[in-house]
Amino acid sequence: MDTLQFLVEGFKLAFQWHNILFAFVGVVIGTAVGVLPGIGPMSGVALLIPVTATITSGMPASAAAASSIILLAGVYYGAMYGGSTTSILLNTPGESSSVVTTLDGYQMAQQGRAGAALAISAIGSFCAGIISLIGLVLLAEPLSNIAIKFGPAEYFSLMLLGLAAVSGLAGKSMTKALMMTVFGLMLGTIGIDAVSGIARFTYDQPLLYSGLEFLTIAVGLFALGEVVKTILEKDKESGAIAKIHRILPTKQDMKDSAVPIVRGSLLGFFIGVLPGAGATLASFFSYTTEKKFSKNPEKFGKGHIAGVAGPESANNAASGGAMIPLLTLGIPGSGTTAILMGALIMYNIQPGPLLFDEHPEVAWGLIASMFLGNLMLLILNMPLVRVFAKIIQTPKKYLLPMIIAISFFGVYAVQYTTFDLYLLIGCGILGYLLSKNDFPVAPLVLALVLGPMIENNLRRALTISNGDFGIFFAKPLSLVFIVGAAAWLLVPLILKFKGRQIIINEED
Amino acid sequence: MTKKFDQFAGVAFLLIGLLFLIESQKISDSAYGSSVGPKIFPMWLGIILMGLSIRLLYETFKYKKEGSEKEQLQYKKFFIIFGSALLYAFFLEKIGYIVSTFAFLLVAFQTVERGKIINSVLIAAVFSFGVYYLFAGLLGGSLPGFPLF
Repeated sequence: MDTLQFLVEGFKLAFQWHNILFAFVGVVIGTAVGVLPGIGPMSGVALLIPVTATITSGMPASAAAASSIILLAGVYYGAMYGGSTTSILLNTPGESSSVVTTLDGYQMAQQGRAGAALAISAIGSFCAGIISLIGLVLLAEPLSNIAIKFGPAEYFSLMLLGLAAVSGLAGKSMTKALMMTVFGLMLGTIGIDAVSGIARFTYDQPLLYSGLEFLTIAVGLFALGEVVKTILEKDKESGAIAKIHRILPTKQDMKDSAVPIVRGSLLGFFIGVLPGAGATLASFFSYTTEKKFSKNPEKFGKGHIAGVAGPESANNAASGGAMIPLLTLGIPGSGTTAILMGALIMYNIQPGPLLFDEHPEVAWGLIASMFLGNLMLLILNMPLVRVFAKIIQTPKKYLLPMIIAISFFGVYAVQYTTFDLYLLIGCGILGYLLSKNDFPVAPLVLALVLGPMIENNLRRALTISNGDFGIFFAKPLSLVFIVGAAAWLLVPLILKFKGRQIIINEED
Repeated sequence: MTKKFDQFAGVAFLLIGLLFLIESQKISDSAYGSSVGPKIFPMWLGIILMGLSIRLLYETFKYKKEGSEKEQLQYKKFFIIFGSALLYAFFLEKIGYIVSTFAFLLVAFQTVERGKIINSVLIAAVFSFGVYYLFAGLLGGSLPGFPLF
């Protein structure tokens, strides 16, 4: 079957009524998550995993996986749409990927053009979503055909590259990011060793035999960590919400933003494909590019519509692009995709080159549903933006305890142990302490997911080569990955040494 | 704050690395004939983490003196919610989901912001009953419902 036929099959799956519903629920929750400043896409997705797991529990495994991943991915790209709303109306970005949108978006709102800014960011996000999906469709098959020839050595080096990329870009200090990565890998070794069946670091506690549950740790570090932060730190008074007068942008607005949208989409897509560089980086890059290409760069920062259109398209395109390494190579490039991968693994579905052969319905169903979801988001965000803007006013009083209660419910409904609840609370406090002091938690979660796979491939490769580490350098592709990994870590160091400013990627 | 924390974290992670290094030596070798047994990976992770921690400790000496801007942290609120979360976890299986969730939410709502007690009671009740009946009733999930006495 060729790509088109698979895509048609995917659409058939995506158009089943329950999957339409799942995509809809996903994007609505995603938009809400994007609007609320406290919860990012990562905690949003993590919190919903147990809920989707329960709802889909009656279905056959791969249909259940397809439906839940449709919902969870909807949260991910939906958040990219929602993040711009608060940036524009309140000058407080809902997500880190919408930080640059505040520069021009809030200015536009002050000038009474909030509606146009919101509409342009929705239209830009939609175009970007479609462009990145076309890229995904075109690249998925060829990439997975290459990846299927990978041996354990190539896989090990590729995952090393992924980890190096995330650590190299995350946070202010690379030492701290690397420490978090290694710590995550260590946590991943707890439990029964998959190769030899020997228990490691379990100290005869039956609870530890299956290892630390990734879901508990992710929800704790991200969702609860954020709650702890909001409880402890007094919130600053947020300003008044700008009024939305007219939603449809003028012809001039459309003309001014058409090129930035296309440019932002392409840029964002390619940045998203790169492991480690996520939506935040993409939006920053897009903003600086637009400023450079613009005929009158002095307008930026004073309410220029291109400064909203470019970055907002870029962050959405990046979230689509980030799906490529996840689906074709089985390597998540960012914190959120790591959590999506964890969700797929929970359903016993291994993302990677074999995914397109073994579970085409999951891969193509997801891709097709993303077309559908983006369309829904466009419709949702244009007329309903006023409704979503109201969500910002949800009182913290009720929101915070409810997030705690939902995390408790989620973790308990999947794990059925009190131990995981204590672990959850512990991770919440740890997550707050770590991220407050610039220890990035995204690499930790990524490493925890990748850890067992890295180790297995390492040991398989070394068994093939009789313990000779040369195998990683002898295979050309593997060598390329290793050199790439080293470059990710060394180039920022060299740039820093030369006194250059480097852009860092906040969690997204 | 950051310097102090980083020094503390450096030492803590150094110890964790050391612990992994020592404890990995106690893992028995695998039976089949690979030279790379189950202990190699954790052992090297331990060594690398120790190296990175020492590097972090070294970096902390180069930190510039920070202006001491004390942040007002709301410890009291935090500890009440933290404590009630622990109690919630402890009692969840013993007194059931509905009662424990209701109690936790009510305490937490009132801790974050006092007042509007009727609203708090209503929302807590709707949430705990709603989640339980949606999950256990409609979806056939299993949660400890009511106290077993």
